[in-house]
Amino acid sequence: MPDDQSFDLAGCLGRVRQRDQTAARELVEHLHPLVIRIVRAHLPRRVSEEDLAQDIFLKMFTRIDQYQGAVPFTHWVSRIAVTTCIDQLRAQKRRPELRWADLSERETDVLDSAITNENDVAPDEALAARELVQKLLGQLKPEDRMVIQYLDLDQKSIAEISQLTGWNKTLVKVRAFRARRKLQRFYRELTEKEHA
Amino acid sequence: MKPSDKSWERLVAAARRAPPAGDEAAPFGFSTRVAALAFEQRQAPPALFARTALRAAAVAGLLAAAAVALNFSAIKGAFDDDPASAAPDDPIAEVVDLGS
Repeated sequence: MPDDQSFDLAGCLGRVRQRDQTAARELVEHLHPLVIRIVRAHLPRRVSEEDLAQDIFLKMFTRIDQYQGAVPFTHWVSRIAVTTCIDQLRAQKRRPELRWADLSERETDVLDSAITNENDVAPDEALAARELVQKLLGQLKPEDRMVIQYLDLDQKSIAEISQLTGWNKTLVKVRAFRARRKLQRFYRELTEKEHA
Repeated sequence: MKPSDKSWERLVAAARRAPPAGDEAAPFGFSTRVAALAFEQRQAPPALFARTALRAAAVAGLLAAAAVALNFSAIKGAFDDDPASAAPDDPIAEVVDLGS
């Protein structure tokens, strides 16, 4: 895990730069949880998470000599992961419109419950809620989707998002504002069409 | 706050309660494959090819210059516009003569 204090990251990086393949394997294993969390949060449709994680690690190794230590290594890797995911999402270009008919029965139940109930959605509907949120986020532009994912689902602060993405705080705030507005529109359209 | 904001908040709060999507450890063999691919990419082939290609280009340039130097007079003669050098029975010369 990247939080593991016992892992000698600096030593490992030094050995990777000297082309030590064992050190490279250790580095991949150490960073895999961090990278796979980002990949799973931003995984484009029809892309294997393992393939995307592999692309991210290969980019990391290609650029590893450029890492100067200005930011923590995990932040540097996060930025590579984030930009790789955004590039993949951009490559898909078209985001098909989400309709009520596209939702599973559980997802429609969750949505109904979120709209009509004053109480929280039932705990056993958490998985369906996550699927539904991901489908709604899939309607947004990659950068907007990423901001909402970090803010609302991962509950990260503006400063943390800025560190993870490399975007300045103002840009994060502006993107969050626009993304929320678009998301509200998609959300309203989806629910109004059904309840019209 | 608008009602839709509240329902979005309820939805997101429920989504946050979902268990992690799966094991976060690298799958078996993943790190070995990635490390091997990474070092394969960083290895000599592109640099070796670039060096060889550069040398081949230099040798080819030298050979071309030597060939031009050795055959300079023949090349120069080919561009001389000397009508006398045209053979009298040259069909092209005859056609040109007819036209003039």
